[in-house]
Amino acid sequence: MSTSLLEAFLARIYVDAQAREKFLSDPTAEALRAGLSHDEIEAVKQIDQVGLELFTVSLKRKRQRQYSKHR
Amino acid sequence: MAVLAEVAVEEGAVVVAADHMVMPKDCFGLGWRPQLALGILSNLDRIDLVEVIADDFFTAPRSDRRALKTLAAQVPVTLHGVSLGLASSVKVDRDRLDRTARLYEEIKPLSWSEHLAFVRGGGIEIGHLAAPPRCDETIEGTLKNLALAHTIVGVAPQVENVATLIDPPLSRYDEASWVVEIIRNSQSNLLLDLHNLHANALNFGFDPIDFISRMPAGRVRGIHLAGGRWVGKGNVRRVLDDHLHDVPDPVYALLEEIGARTEPGLTVILERDGHFPSIDSLLDQLDHARQALAQGRARRTIASRGEEAA
Repeated sequence: MSTSLLEAFLARIYVDAQAREKFLSDPTAEALRAGLSHDEIEAVKQIDQVGLELFTVSLKRKRQRQYSKHR
Repeated sequence: MAVLAEVAVEEGAVVVAADHMVMPKDCFGLGWRPQLALGILSNLDRIDLVEVIADDFFTAPRSDRRALKTLAAQVPVTLHGVSLGLASSVKVDRDRLDRTARLYEEIKPLSWSEHLAFVRGGGIEIGHLAAPPRCDETIEGTLKNLALAHTIVGVAPQVENVATLIDPPLSRYDEASWVVEIIRNSQSNLLLDLHNLHANALNFGFDPIDFISRMPAGRVRGIHLAGGRWVGKGNVRRVLDDHLHDVPDPVYALLEEIGARTEPGLTVILERDGHFPSIDSLLDQLDHARQALAQGRARRTIASRGEEAA
């Protein structure tokens, strides 16, 4: 497995709206392009889309506030 | 307060009883924020310790670090990190670790802590704590990172469970199992954030009491309390841990459960990052936490007496 690639892939779709849009329109192609393994591709194809949307909205607001990051 | 400061130890604190037996004591404090500084310093008789965000001082001017040392001379301090990204299959950033070590050496806090989160990947800073895939590879990576953090800083960090709005993909463990694997195979104790637990339990439909029961009770050394709010619409709603609201009642109920299952010597920190209420309101919430933990301790005592009688 190559979880570091998966972490990088997640980081990108969390912060980059265009990358996220491309991923959601064709998950397999984008995951393959990122070099993810078969298991990882299957996992991201079933990604929690509700959570992804809510998290990215929250993240965008936080980044706009220069993120205090006090968690 | 003076006694506490004199005998403070690495994690938690102790007080010296009249018969010279060392008795562990639960300590209650607030997250240090500049907006709360005056209120905190004016109420040190009701605050046992403060938790300082380590990252705020990594590149701070010398005057700010001097101020932090002055603060640490007045009240016991714990350091809390937010940007190491220890829970990752990627090696922890050495520069940030070195900065943490220098700050630890300078401030000499009671303890330090970080999150079980990844915060960057492929050169991209997420800008927030993200729950990693809960799989063997991230357990292995986290254990390596914790060992390195222990070596560089000289003390193992407490590790905090994180709130997440998204169920991390490729997770082969549930959250409790994944956390337990890390705690049992490292030197790190658990900083259990009860609002994070509450939020995740609501968001992903598990029992927070079951989660608590699965944690090794002797390894829970710190507690975080906070508030949050629902986000989303209709059936698409989840709880966001935003630190902008008061501690909700279910979180106090979880704290009582902790009291019933752990030994004294916990540090309990109330975190608030904005929409600051009056200091009296925060101190009232701290008092509420004291009561909840005491109720749990009383349950434990009654239960153990019952077992002895039987």
